[in-house]
Amino acid sequence: METDVLIIGAGPAGLNSAYEIASNGVQTVIVDESFFPGGQLKQQTQYFNNLPRQFEAQRGITLAETLANRLHSLPVTMLHKHTMIGVYKDGSIGVSNGESTFPIKAKKVIVTTGAAEETCLFPGWTLPGVMTVGAAQILMNRERVLPGKNAIILGCNSFSQEVAQQLKDCGVNILGIIEKNTSLGRESRERLHSDIPLLLNSYITRAMGRGEVEKVFINHNGSEQEWRADLICIGNGLSPILEPFEILDCSFTNKEKLGGLLPGYDSNFKTENSSVYVAGNAAGITCMGGVLLTAEIAAADVLRHLGVLNREDAARQTTYLWKELLRIETQTDSEVFYARVASIQEFHEKNNIPLPTSFHAILEEC
Amino acid sequence: MDKSTIVCRCEEINIDEIETAIKMGASTFDDIKRLTRCGMGPCQSKVCMNLVRELLSENLGKPLKEIPPSRMRMPLKITRLGSLVGKESSNNVLSVFSESSLEEGEQQNE
Amino acid sequence: MYIKDHPILKKDNNHEVTFFYNGTTLKAKHGQTIAGALMANGIKKFGITRKLQQSRGLYCANGRCCSCFVTVNGLEHVLSCMTLIEDGMEVNPNSGDPDVRRGEYGN
Repeated sequence: METDVLIIGAGPAGLNSAYEIASNGVQTVIVDESFFPGGQLKQQTQYFNNLPRQFEAQRGITLAETLANRLHSLPVTMLHKHTMIGVYKDGSIGVSNGESTFPIKAKKVIVTTGAAEETCLFPGWTLPGVMTVGAAQILMNRERVLPGKNAIILGCNSFSQEVAQQLKDCGVNILGIIEKNTSLGRESRERLHSDIPLLLNSYITRAMGRGEVEKVFINHNGSEQEWRADLICIGNGLSPILEPFEILDCSFTNKEKLGGLLPGYDSNFKTENSSVYVAGNAAGITCMGGVLLTAEIAAADVLRHLGVLNREDAARQTTYLWKELLRIETQTDSEVFYARVASIQEFHEKNNIPLPTSFHAILEEC
Repeated sequence: MDKSTIVCRCEEINIDEIETAIKMGASTFDDIKRLTRCGMGPCQSKVCMNLVRELLSENLGKPLKEIPPSRMRMPLKITRLGSLVGKESSNNVLSVFSESSLEEGEQQNE
Repeated sequence: MYIKDHPILKKDNNHEVTFFYNGTTLKAKHGQTIAGALMANGIKKFGITRKLQQSRGLYCANGRCCSCFVTVNGLEHVLSCMTLIEDGMEVNPNSGDPDVRRGEYGN
Protein backbone atom coordinates (compact mmCIF):
# COMPACT_ATOMS: atom_id res chain seq x y z
CA MET A 1 0.00 0.00 0.00
CA GLU A 2 1.20 3.51 -0.83
CA THR A 3 -0.05 6.85 0.40
CA ASP A 4 1.04 10.45 0.83
CA VAL A 5 0.56 10.56 4.57
CA LEU A 6 0.28 7.73 7.09
CA ILE A 7 -1.10 8.41 10.55
CA ILE A 8 -0.53 5.94 13.40
CA GLY A 9 -3.48 6.05 15.78
CA ALA A 10 -7.06 7.28 15.33
CA GLY A 11 -7.37 9.22 18.58
CA PRO A 12 -8.10 12.96 18.69
CA ALA A 13 -4.62 13.95 17.43
CA GLY A 14 -4.63 11.43 14.57
CA LEU A 15 -8.16 12.27 13.45
CA ASN A 16 -7.55 16.02 13.62
CA SER A 17 -4.31 15.92 11.64
CA ALA A 18 -5.98 13.61 9.10
CA TYR A 19 -8.69 16.23 8.61
CA GLU A 20 -6.22 19.09 8.15
CA ILE A 21 -4.24 17.08 5.62
CA ALA A 22 -6.96 15.27 3.70
CA SER A 23 -9.17 18.37 3.38
CA ASN A 24 -6.40 19.63 1.06
CA GLY A 25 -6.96 16.60 -1.14
CA VAL A 26 -3.90 14.72 0.13
CA GLN A 27 -4.20 10.91 0.30
CA THR A 28 -4.15 9.84 3.95
CA VAL A 29 -4.17 6.42 5.61
CA ILE A 30 -4.92 5.99 9.33
CA VAL A 31 -3.91 2.81 11.11
CA ASP A 32 -5.72 2.07 14.38
CA GLU A 33 -5.77 -0.92 16.73
CA SER A 34 -9.37 -0.53 17.80
CA PHE A 35 -12.71 -1.42 16.18
CA PHE A 36 -13.78 2.18 15.75
CA PRO A 37 -12.10 5.60 15.81
CA GLY A 38 -11.74 8.05 18.68
CA GLY A 39 -8.96 6.56 20.78
CA GLN A 40 -9.45 7.27 24.48
CA LEU A 41 -12.23 9.77 23.69
CA LYS A 42 -14.54 6.80 23.11
CA GLN A 43 -15.20 6.43 26.85
CA GLN A 44 -14.66 10.01 27.99
CA THR A 45 -18.14 11.21 28.91
CA GLN A 46 -16.76 14.32 30.61
CA TYR A 47 -16.92 17.74 28.93
CA PHE A 48 -13.87 19.27 27.27
CA ASN A 49 -13.99 23.05 27.42
CA ASN A 50 -10.64 24.50 26.54
CA LEU A 51 -10.61 23.48 22.83
CA PRO A 52 -9.34 25.24 19.68
CA ARG A 53 -11.79 27.85 18.38
CA GLN A 54 -13.38 25.66 15.67
CA PHE A 55 -14.69 23.23 18.33
CA GLU A 56 -17.39 24.04 20.82
CA ALA A 57 -17.24 22.55 24.30
CA GLN A 58 -18.49 18.97 24.17
CA ARG A 59 -18.25 15.56 25.77
CA GLY A 60 -15.34 13.35 24.70
CA ILE A 61 -17.67 10.73 23.22
CA THR A 62 -19.28 13.44 21.05
CA LEU A 63 -15.90 14.91 20.10
CA ALA A 64 -14.81 11.45 18.90
CA GLU A 65 -17.80 11.35 16.57
CA THR A 66 -17.30 14.95 15.44
CA LEU A 67 -13.66 14.28 14.54
CA ALA A 68 -14.37 10.97 12.80
CA ASN A 69 -17.44 12.13 10.86
CA ARG A 70 -15.54 15.08 9.33
CA LEU A 71 -13.36 12.58 7.45
CA HIS A 72 -16.19 10.83 5.60
CA SER A 73 -16.06 12.73 2.32
CA LEU A 74 -12.26 13.12 2.35
CA PRO A 75 -9.52 10.95 0.76
CA VAL A 76 -8.91 9.08 4.03
CA THR A 77 -8.54 5.30 4.30
CA MET A 78 -9.22 4.11 7.82
CA LEU A 79 -7.64 0.76 8.70
CA HIS A 80 -9.35 -0.43 11.88
CA LYS A 81 -7.99 -3.43 13.79
CA HIS A 82 -4.59 -2.76 12.23
CA THR A 83 -1.45 -2.35 14.31
CA MET A 84 1.93 -0.86 13.46
CA ILE A 85 4.38 -3.59 14.44
CA GLY A 86 7.60 -2.53 12.74
CA VAL A 87 9.53 -0.74 10.02
CA TYR A 88 10.94 -2.16 6.76
CA LYS A 89 14.44 -1.32 5.52
CA ASP A 90 13.11 1.23 3.01
CA GLY A 91 11.25 3.06 5.80
CA SER A 92 7.83 1.59 5.00
CA ILE A 93 5.72 0.96 8.08
CA GLY A 94 4.90 -2.68 8.83
CA VAL A 95 1.25 -3.09 9.69
CA SER A 96 -0.50 -6.24 10.86
CA ASN A 97 -4.21 -7.00 10.91
CA GLY A 98 -3.70 -10.20 12.87
CA GLU A 99 -3.87 -12.37 9.72
CA SER A 100 -1.08 -10.92 7.63
CA THR A 101 1.53 -8.18 7.71
CA PHE A 102 2.14 -5.68 4.91
CA PRO A 103 4.17 -2.52 4.27
CA ILE A 104 2.66 0.94 3.92
CA LYS A 105 4.92 3.33 2.06
CA ALA A 106 4.23 6.97 2.89
CA LYS A 107 5.95 10.26 2.12
CA LYS A 108 5.28 11.44 5.67
CA VAL A 109 4.28 9.59 8.84
CA ILE A 110 2.57 11.23 11.82
CA VAL A 111 2.76 9.18 15.01
CA THR A 112 -0.22 9.92 17.24
CA THR A 113 -0.10 6.92 19.55
CA GLY A 114 -1.15 8.90 22.63
CA ALA A 115 -0.34 8.05 26.19
CA ALA A 116 -0.39 5.05 28.51
CA GLU A 117 -1.35 5.00 32.17
CA GLU A 118 1.43 4.69 34.70
CA THR A 119 1.05 2.13 37.44
CA CYS A 120 1.77 1.99 41.16
CA LEU A 121 3.32 -0.93 42.99
CA PHE A 122 1.85 -2.59 46.06
CA PRO A 123 1.68 -6.25 47.07
CA GLY A 124 -1.35 -7.71 45.30
CA TRP A 125 -1.50 -5.16 42.47
CA THR A 126 -1.55 -8.00 39.94
CA LEU A 127 -4.83 -9.45 41.30
CA PRO A 128 -7.98 -9.32 39.16
CA GLY A 129 -10.02 -6.37 40.41
CA VAL A 130 -6.98 -4.08 40.29
CA MET A 131 -7.05 -2.00 37.12
CA THR A 132 -6.16 1.45 35.87
CA VAL A 133 -8.75 4.23 36.23
CA GLY A 134 -8.82 4.36 32.43
CA ALA A 135 -9.76 0.67 32.30
CA ALA A 136 -12.59 1.25 34.80
CA GLN A 137 -13.84 4.10 32.62
CA ILE A 138 -13.74 1.89 29.51
CA LEU A 139 -15.77 -0.81 31.28
CA MET A 140 -18.31 1.71 32.54
CA ASN A 141 -18.77 3.92 29.45
CA ARG A 142 -17.81 1.70 26.51
CA GLU A 143 -18.86 -1.73 27.73
CA ARG A 144 -21.60 -0.47 30.08
CA VAL A 145 -20.35 -2.83 32.74
CA LEU A 146 -19.79 -1.97 36.40
CA PRO A 147 -16.14 -2.77 37.19
CA GLY A 148 -16.95 -3.46 40.86
CA LYS A 149 -19.21 -2.61 43.78
CA ASN A 150 -16.87 -1.19 46.42
CA ALA A 151 -13.99 0.76 44.95
CA ILE A 152 -10.77 2.36 46.14
CA ILE A 153 -9.14 4.97 43.90
CA LEU A 154 -5.36 5.06 44.28
CA GLY A 155 -3.90 8.45 43.41
CA CYS A 156 -5.68 11.80 43.46
CA ASN A 157 -5.50 13.80 40.23
CA SER A 158 -8.11 15.45 38.04
CA PHE A 159 -8.59 12.33 35.88
CA SER A 160 -8.92 9.88 38.78
CA GLN A 161 -11.30 12.31 40.52
CA GLU A 162 -13.40 12.55 37.36
CA VAL A 163 -13.61 8.77 36.96
CA ALA A 164 -14.37 8.34 40.68
CA GLN A 165 -17.34 10.68 40.30
CA GLN A 166 -18.53 8.88 37.15
CA LEU A 167 -18.29 5.50 38.90
CA LYS A 168 -20.27 6.90 41.82
CA ASP A 169 -22.94 8.23 39.44
CA CYS A 170 -23.22 4.70 38.01
CA GLY A 171 -23.82 3.27 41.47
CA VAL A 172 -20.34 2.18 42.57
CA ASN A 173 -19.64 2.77 46.25
CA ILE A 174 -16.40 4.78 46.36
CA LEU A 175 -14.74 3.95 49.67
CA GLY A 176 -12.14 6.64 49.20
CA ILE A 177 -9.38 8.22 47.17
CA ILE A 178 -5.98 7.24 48.56
CA GLU A 179 -3.22 9.80 48.02
CA LYS A 180 0.37 9.46 49.20
CA ASN A 181 1.04 13.21 49.29
CA THR A 182 -0.01 15.40 52.19
CA SER A 183 -1.46 18.13 49.97
CA LEU A 184 -3.07 18.37 46.53
CA GLY A 185 -2.27 20.31 43.39
CA ARG A 186 -4.44 23.28 42.41
CA GLU A 187 -6.52 21.41 39.82
CA SER A 188 -7.30 18.56 42.24
CA ARG A 189 -8.23 20.96 45.06
CA GLU A 190 -10.72 22.70 42.78
CA ARG A 191 -12.30 19.38 41.89
CA LEU A 192 -12.71 18.05 45.42
CA HIS A 193 -16.11 16.49 45.89
CA SER A 194 -17.15 16.45 49.51
CA ASP A 195 -19.12 13.21 49.15
CA ILE A 196 -16.09 11.15 48.10
CA PRO A 197 -13.73 10.58 51.06
CA LEU A 198 -10.13 11.63 50.41
CA LEU A 199 -7.29 10.19 52.48
CA LEU A 200 -4.07 12.16 52.20
CA ASN A 201 -0.75 10.83 53.48
CA SER A 202 -1.89 7.27 52.80
CA TYR A 203 -1.04 4.29 50.63
CA ILE A 204 -2.11 0.69 50.03
CA THR A 205 0.07 -1.72 51.99
CA ARG A 206 -1.49 -4.88 50.52
CA ALA A 207 -4.44 -6.16 48.50
CA MET A 208 -5.60 -9.71 49.11
CA GLY A 209 -8.24 -12.17 47.99
CA ARG A 210 -8.89 -15.60 46.50
CA GLY A 211 -8.45 -15.05 42.77
CA GLU A 212 -9.63 -11.43 43.00
CA VAL A 213 -9.42 -8.43 45.32
CA GLU A 214 -11.47 -8.94 48.49
CA LYS A 215 -9.73 -6.89 51.16
CA VAL A 216 -7.29 -4.02 51.08
CA PHE A 217 -4.99 -2.75 53.82
CA ILE A 218 -4.54 1.01 53.88
CA ASN A 219 -1.90 2.92 55.77
CA HIS A 220 -3.36 6.30 56.69
CA ASN A 221 -1.24 8.77 58.69
CA GLY A 222 0.92 5.87 59.84
CA SER A 223 -1.81 3.55 61.10
CA GLU A 224 -3.20 0.58 59.22
CA GLN A 225 -6.84 -0.16 58.49
CA GLU A 226 -8.57 -2.98 56.63
CA TRP A 227 -11.21 -2.24 53.99
CA ARG A 228 -13.51 -4.65 52.15
CA ALA A 229 -13.22 -3.74 48.48
CA ASP A 230 -13.52 -5.56 45.16
CA LEU A 231 -12.06 -2.85 42.92
CA ILE A 232 -8.86 -0.81 43.07
CA CYS A 233 -8.39 1.80 40.34
CA ILE A 234 -4.81 2.98 39.90
CA GLY A 235 -4.61 6.61 38.78
CA ASN A 236 -0.94 7.45 38.63
CA GLY A 237 -0.91 9.75 35.63
CA LEU A 238 0.05 9.28 31.99
CA SER A 239 3.26 8.96 30.01
CA PRO A 240 3.78 9.17 26.22
CA ILE A 241 3.72 5.86 24.31
CA LEU A 242 7.27 5.41 23.02
CA GLU A 243 7.44 2.04 21.24
CA PRO A 244 7.29 3.25 17.61
CA PHE A 245 9.99 5.90 17.92
CA GLU A 246 13.18 3.92 18.51
CA ILE A 247 12.80 1.82 15.36
CA LEU A 248 11.95 5.01 13.44
CA ASP A 249 15.39 6.39 14.46
CA CYS A 250 13.99 9.13 16.68
CA SER A 251 15.82 10.23 19.82
CA PHE A 252 14.26 10.54 23.27
CA THR A 253 14.32 13.42 25.68
CA ASN A 254 13.09 13.74 29.25
CA LYS A 255 10.66 16.33 30.60
CA GLU A 256 8.92 15.50 33.84
CA LYS A 257 6.14 18.04 33.19
CA LEU A 258 5.38 16.34 29.83
CA GLY A 259 5.11 12.86 31.35
CA GLY A 260 8.78 11.79 31.46
CA LEU A 261 10.42 10.26 28.39
CA LEU A 262 9.20 11.55 25.03
CA PRO A 263 10.51 11.75 21.46
CA GLY A 264 12.53 14.84 20.59
CA TYR A 265 10.92 17.17 18.01
CA ASP A 266 11.40 20.58 16.42
CA SER A 267 9.06 23.59 16.42
CA ASN A 268 6.95 21.85 13.74
CA PHE A 269 6.74 18.55 15.67
CA LYS A 270 9.12 16.90 13.22
CA THR A 271 11.44 14.33 14.83
CA GLU A 272 15.06 13.58 13.98
CA ASN A 273 13.72 11.37 11.20
CA SER A 274 12.69 14.02 8.66
CA SER A 275 9.71 11.99 7.43
CA VAL A 276 8.32 11.28 10.92
CA TYR A 277 6.20 13.69 12.96
CA VAL A 278 4.69 13.31 16.41
CA ALA A 279 1.57 14.95 17.84
CA GLY A 280 -0.93 14.68 20.67
CA ASN A 281 -0.08 13.10 24.00
CA ALA A 282 2.75 11.10 22.38
CA ALA A 283 4.53 14.48 22.10
CA GLY A 284 4.06 15.17 25.82
CA ILE A 285 1.04 14.88 28.09
CA THR A 286 -1.24 17.87 27.67
CA CYS A 287 -4.89 18.96 27.74
CA MET A 288 -7.36 18.06 24.94
CA GLY A 289 -6.88 21.48 23.34
CA GLY A 290 -3.14 20.85 23.25
CA VAL A 291 -3.64 17.39 21.74
CA LEU A 292 -5.70 18.86 18.88
CA LEU A 293 -3.43 21.86 18.23
CA THR A 294 -0.14 19.94 18.14
CA ALA A 295 -1.80 17.73 15.49
CA GLU A 296 -2.59 20.83 13.42
CA ILE A 297 0.96 22.21 13.70
CA ALA A 298 2.40 18.89 12.51
CA ALA A 299 -0.16 18.75 9.69
CA ALA A 300 0.75 22.26 8.49
CA ASP A 301 4.44 21.33 8.14
CA VAL A 302 3.56 18.06 6.38
CA LEU A 303 1.46 20.03 3.89
CA ARG A 304 4.35 22.45 3.30
CA HIS A 305 6.79 19.63 2.61
CA LEU A 306 4.33 18.00 0.23
CA GLY A 307 4.12 21.31 -1.66
CA VAL A 308 0.46 21.86 -0.83
CA LEU A 309 1.06 24.93 1.33
CA ASN A 310 3.66 27.50 0.30
CA ARG A 311 6.28 28.65 2.79
CA GLU A 312 4.52 31.93 3.67
CA ASP A 313 1.09 30.38 4.19
CA ALA A 314 2.55 27.58 6.30
CA ALA A 315 4.51 30.05 8.44
CA ARG A 316 1.42 32.20 8.94
CA GLN A 317 -0.67 29.21 9.93
CA THR A 318 2.00 27.82 12.26
CA THR A 319 2.42 31.18 14.00
CA TYR A 320 -1.32 31.34 14.60
CA LEU A 321 -1.44 27.74 15.89
CA TRP A 322 1.48 28.29 18.27
CA LYS A 323 -0.26 31.34 19.72
CA GLU A 324 -3.38 29.22 20.21
CA LEU A 325 -1.30 26.48 21.84
CA LEU A 326 0.25 29.07 24.13
CA ARG A 327 -3.20 30.39 25.06
CA ILE A 328 -4.78 26.98 25.68
CA GLU A 329 -1.89 25.17 27.37
CA THR A 330 -1.05 28.05 29.69
CA GLN A 331 -4.70 28.27 30.73
CA THR A 332 -4.60 24.63 31.83
CA ASP A 333 -1.00 24.33 33.07
CA SER A 334 1.59 26.86 31.96
CA GLU A 335 4.46 24.59 33.04
CA VAL A 336 3.46 22.07 30.36
CA PHE A 337 3.85 24.75 27.71
CA TYR A 338 7.20 25.96 29.09
CA ALA A 339 8.54 22.38 29.27
CA ARG A 340 7.47 21.85 25.65
CA VAL A 341 9.20 25.04 24.49
CA ALA A 342 12.35 24.12 26.45
CA SER A 343 12.42 20.65 24.88
CA ILE A 344 12.06 22.19 21.38
CA GLN A 345 14.88 24.68 22.05
CA GLU A 346 17.11 21.82 23.21
CA PHE A 347 16.23 19.82 20.10
CA HIS A 348 17.18 22.71 17.78
CA GLU A 349 20.45 23.28 19.63
CA LYS A 350 21.38 19.59 19.66
CA ASN A 351 20.73 19.20 15.94
CA ASN A 352 22.16 22.60 14.96
CA ILE A 353 18.94 23.81 13.35
CA PRO A 354 18.13 27.50 13.83
CA LEU A 355 14.71 28.17 15.37
CA PRO A 356 12.37 29.73 12.79
CA THR A 357 12.00 33.49 13.25
CA SER A 358 8.25 33.06 13.72
CA PHE A 359 9.02 31.05 16.87
CA HIS A 360 10.92 33.90 18.54
CA ALA A 361 7.64 35.63 19.39
CA ILE A 362 6.64 32.50 21.31
CA LEU A 363 9.95 32.43 23.18
CA GLU A 364 9.43 36.02 24.26
CA GLU A 365 6.12 35.03 25.84
CA CYS A 366 7.85 32.50 28.08
CA MET B 1 7.66 -2.55 50.56
CA ASP B 2 7.52 -6.34 50.50
CA LYS B 3 10.43 -7.33 48.24
CA SER B 4 8.41 -10.23 46.81
CA THR B 5 6.03 -7.74 45.12
CA ILE B 6 5.82 -8.47 41.40
CA VAL B 7 7.18 -5.72 39.12
CA CYS B 8 7.00 -7.46 35.72
CA ARG B 9 3.48 -8.86 35.42
CA CYS B 10 4.27 -11.05 32.40
CA GLU B 11 7.47 -12.80 33.47
CA GLU B 12 6.58 -12.51 37.17
CA ILE B 13 9.79 -10.87 38.31
CA ASN B 14 9.74 -9.29 41.77
CA ILE B 15 11.57 -6.36 43.40
CA ASP B 16 14.09 -8.69 45.05
CA GLU B 17 15.11 -10.31 41.74
CA ILE B 18 15.61 -6.92 40.13
CA GLU B 19 17.61 -5.54 43.06
CA THR B 20 19.74 -8.67 43.08
CA ALA B 21 20.47 -8.13 39.38
CA ILE B 22 21.48 -4.53 40.13
CA LYS B 23 23.79 -5.75 42.93
CA MET B 24 25.35 -8.15 40.42
CA GLY B 25 26.22 -5.18 38.22
CA ALA B 26 23.15 -4.46 36.11
CA SER B 27 23.01 -0.73 35.39
CA THR B 28 20.45 -0.51 32.60
CA PHE B 29 17.01 -1.96 31.93
CA ASP B 30 18.53 -4.13 29.22
CA ASP B 31 21.04 -5.60 31.71
CA ILE B 32 18.14 -6.52 33.99
CA LYS B 33 16.31 -8.05 31.03
CA ARG B 34 19.23 -10.31 30.19
CA LEU B 35 19.74 -11.39 33.79
CA THR B 36 16.12 -11.93 34.85
CA ARG B 37 13.79 -11.93 31.77
CA CYS B 38 12.06 -8.90 33.31
CA GLY B 39 10.29 -7.02 30.50
CA MET B 40 10.66 -9.90 28.02
CA GLY B 41 7.12 -11.27 28.22
CA PRO B 42 4.20 -10.59 25.90
CA CYS B 43 3.84 -6.90 26.88
CA GLN B 44 7.56 -6.23 26.23
CA SER B 45 8.00 -3.89 29.24
CA LYS B 46 5.07 -1.65 28.35
CA VAL B 47 3.82 -1.78 31.95
CA CYS B 48 7.02 -2.18 34.00
CA MET B 49 9.23 0.25 32.03
CA ASN B 50 9.13 3.10 34.53
CA LEU B 51 8.84 0.83 37.59
CA VAL B 52 12.17 -0.76 36.67
CA ARG B 53 13.70 2.61 35.77
CA GLU B 54 12.69 3.89 39.21
CA LEU B 55 14.24 0.84 40.92
CA LEU B 56 17.45 1.44 38.94
CA SER B 57 17.41 5.11 39.89
CA GLU B 58 16.92 4.36 43.62
CA ASN B 59 19.47 1.54 43.80
CA LEU B 60 22.15 3.27 41.72
CA GLY B 61 21.57 6.70 43.29
CA LYS B 62 21.11 8.23 39.84
CA PRO B 63 18.36 10.67 38.80
CA LEU B 64 15.52 8.99 36.90
CA LYS B 65 16.14 11.09 33.79
CA GLU B 66 19.56 9.49 33.40
CA ILE B 67 18.08 5.98 33.22
CA PRO B 68 17.37 5.19 29.54
CA PRO B 69 14.34 3.12 28.48
CA SER B 70 14.64 -0.53 27.51
CA ARG B 71 15.35 -1.35 23.88
CA MET B 72 12.07 -1.39 21.96
CA ARG B 73 12.21 -4.10 19.31
CA MET B 74 9.98 -5.38 16.54
CA PRO B 75 7.30 -6.59 16.59
CA LEU B 76 6.05 -3.66 18.65
CA LYS B 77 2.90 -5.50 19.70
CA ILE B 78 2.02 -9.13 20.35
CA THR B 79 1.94 -10.72 16.89
CA ARG B 80 1.31 -14.28 15.73
CA LEU B 81 4.04 -15.91 13.65
CA GLY B 82 1.55 -16.83 10.94
CA SER B 83 0.65 -13.17 10.40
CA LEU B 84 4.32 -12.27 9.97
CA VAL B 85 5.02 -14.72 7.16
CA GLY B 86 1.72 -14.32 5.34
CA LYS B 87 -0.64 -17.01 4.13
CA GLU B 88 1.28 -18.38 1.14
CA SER B 89 4.58 -18.87 2.90
CA SER B 90 3.13 -19.99 6.21
CA ASN B 91 4.19 -23.51 5.21
CA ASN B 92 7.74 -22.45 6.05
CA VAL B 93 6.72 -21.81 9.62
CA LEU B 94 4.92 -25.12 9.71
CA SER B 95 8.09 -26.88 8.61
CA VAL B 96 10.06 -25.23 11.42
CA PHE B 97 7.55 -26.53 13.91
CA SER B 98 7.44 -30.00 12.44
CA GLU B 99 11.22 -30.24 12.84
CA SER B 100 10.81 -29.76 16.56
CA SER B 101 7.76 -32.01 16.84
CA LEU B 102 7.83 -35.65 17.90
CA GLU B 103 9.53 -38.20 15.67
CA GLU B 104 7.42 -41.04 14.38
CA GLY B 105 7.12 -43.71 17.02
CA GLU B 106 8.15 -41.34 19.80
CA GLN B 107 5.75 -41.32 22.73
CA GLN B 108 4.52 -38.16 24.32
CA ASN B 109 4.86 -38.26 28.11
CA GLU B 110 1.45 -37.41 29.53
CA MET C 1 -22.98 -6.27 36.15
CA TYR C 2 -24.53 -4.60 33.10
CA ILE C 3 -25.43 -0.92 33.55
CA LYS C 4 -29.05 -0.71 32.41
CA ASP C 5 -29.66 2.97 33.09
CA HIS C 6 -26.47 4.79 32.34
CA PRO C 7 -26.52 8.32 33.80
CA ILE C 8 -25.09 9.87 30.59
CA LEU C 9 -25.21 7.41 27.68
CA LYS C 10 -28.44 6.84 25.75
CA LYS C 11 -30.07 3.43 25.91
CA ASP C 12 -28.47 1.11 23.38
CA ASN C 13 -30.46 -1.28 21.21
CA ASN C 14 -27.67 -3.80 20.92
CA HIS C 15 -28.98 -7.34 20.67
CA GLU C 16 -28.01 -10.12 23.03
CA VAL C 17 -25.41 -12.72 22.08
CA THR C 18 -24.79 -16.11 23.66
CA PHE C 19 -21.29 -17.42 24.30
CA PHE C 20 -19.63 -20.17 26.29
CA TYR C 21 -17.11 -19.71 29.07
CA ASN C 22 -15.51 -22.83 30.47
CA GLY C 23 -18.48 -24.76 29.06
CA THR C 24 -21.12 -22.57 30.76
CA THR C 25 -23.58 -20.67 28.57
CA LEU C 26 -23.48 -16.92 29.21
CA LYS C 27 -25.10 -13.87 27.68
CA ALA C 28 -23.52 -10.62 26.55
CA LYS C 29 -24.41 -7.56 24.51
CA HIS C 30 -23.37 -7.25 20.88
CA GLY C 31 -20.54 -4.70 20.70
CA GLN C 32 -18.94 -5.70 23.99
CA THR C 33 -15.43 -7.05 24.10
CA ILE C 34 -14.80 -10.52 25.52
CA ALA C 35 -13.37 -8.84 28.64
CA GLY C 36 -16.48 -6.68 29.02
CA ALA C 37 -18.74 -9.69 28.49
CA LEU C 38 -16.93 -11.70 31.17
CA MET C 39 -16.94 -8.83 33.67
CA ALA C 40 -20.67 -8.29 32.99
CA ASN C 41 -21.16 -11.89 34.10
CA GLY C 42 -19.19 -11.34 37.30
CA ILE C 43 -16.04 -13.09 36.04
CA LYS C 44 -12.90 -11.18 36.97
CA LYS C 45 -10.26 -13.88 36.90
CA PHE C 46 -9.48 -14.64 33.25
CA GLY C 47 -6.57 -17.00 33.75
CA ILE C 48 -3.38 -17.91 35.55
CA THR C 49 0.26 -17.02 34.98
CA ARG C 50 2.71 -19.56 33.62
CA LYS C 51 5.32 -19.49 36.42
CA LEU C 52 3.60 -18.84 39.74
CA GLN C 53 0.03 -19.76 38.72
CA GLN C 54 -1.20 -16.35 39.94
CA SER C 55 -4.61 -14.99 38.94
CA ARG C 56 -4.83 -12.37 36.23
CA GLY C 57 -7.68 -10.33 34.79
CA LEU C 58 -8.41 -7.09 33.01
CA TYR C 59 -5.83 -4.45 33.90
CA CYS C 60 -5.25 -1.76 31.22
CA ALA C 61 -8.19 -2.55 28.86
CA ASN C 62 -6.11 -1.10 26.00
CA GLY C 63 -4.29 -4.10 24.56
CA ARG C 64 -0.98 -3.23 26.20
CA CYS C 65 -0.57 -5.17 29.45
CA CYS C 66 -1.46 -8.66 28.11
CA SER C 67 -2.99 -9.61 31.49
CA CYS C 68 -6.41 -10.38 30.05
CA PHE C 69 -5.44 -13.33 27.80
CA VAL C 70 -8.12 -15.94 27.16
CA THR C 71 -8.45 -18.87 24.75
CA VAL C 72 -11.01 -18.23 22.00
CA ASN C 73 -12.35 -21.08 19.85
CA GLY C 74 -9.15 -22.99 20.62
CA LEU C 75 -6.77 -20.13 19.83
CA GLU C 76 -4.66 -19.33 22.87
CA HIS C 77 -3.47 -15.96 24.19
CA VAL C 78 -6.15 -13.77 22.66
CA LEU C 79 -6.39 -10.26 24.12
CA SER C 80 -9.91 -10.27 25.53
CA CYS C 81 -9.99 -6.45 25.83
CA MET C 82 -9.33 -5.96 22.10
CA THR C 83 -11.59 -8.71 20.71
CA LEU C 84 -15.35 -8.35 20.29
CA ILE C 85 -17.62 -11.11 21.59
CA GLU C 86 -19.46 -13.11 18.94
CA ASP C 87 -22.47 -15.36 19.05
CA GLY C 88 -21.47 -18.94 19.84
CA MET C 89 -17.89 -18.05 20.77
CA GLU C 90 -16.16 -20.60 22.96
CA VAL C 91 -14.06 -18.77 25.53
CA ASN C 92 -11.78 -20.52 28.00
CA PRO C 93 -9.51 -19.12 30.70
CA ASN C 94 -5.83 -18.73 29.93
CA SER C 95 -4.00 -21.65 31.48
CA GLY C 96 -0.40 -20.52 31.07
CA ASP C 97 1.93 -21.82 28.38
CA PRO C 98 0.76 -22.50 24.83
CA ASP C 99 1.22 -26.00 23.43
CA VAL C 100 3.06 -25.37 20.16
CA ARG C 101 3.48 -29.05 19.36
CA ARG C 102 -0.18 -29.88 19.34
CA GLY C 103 -0.70 -28.99 15.70
CA GLU C 104 -4.49 -28.89 15.90
CA TYR C 105 -4.82 -25.32 14.70
CA GLY C 106 -2.52 -25.37 11.75
CA ASN C 107 0.60 -24.44 13.67
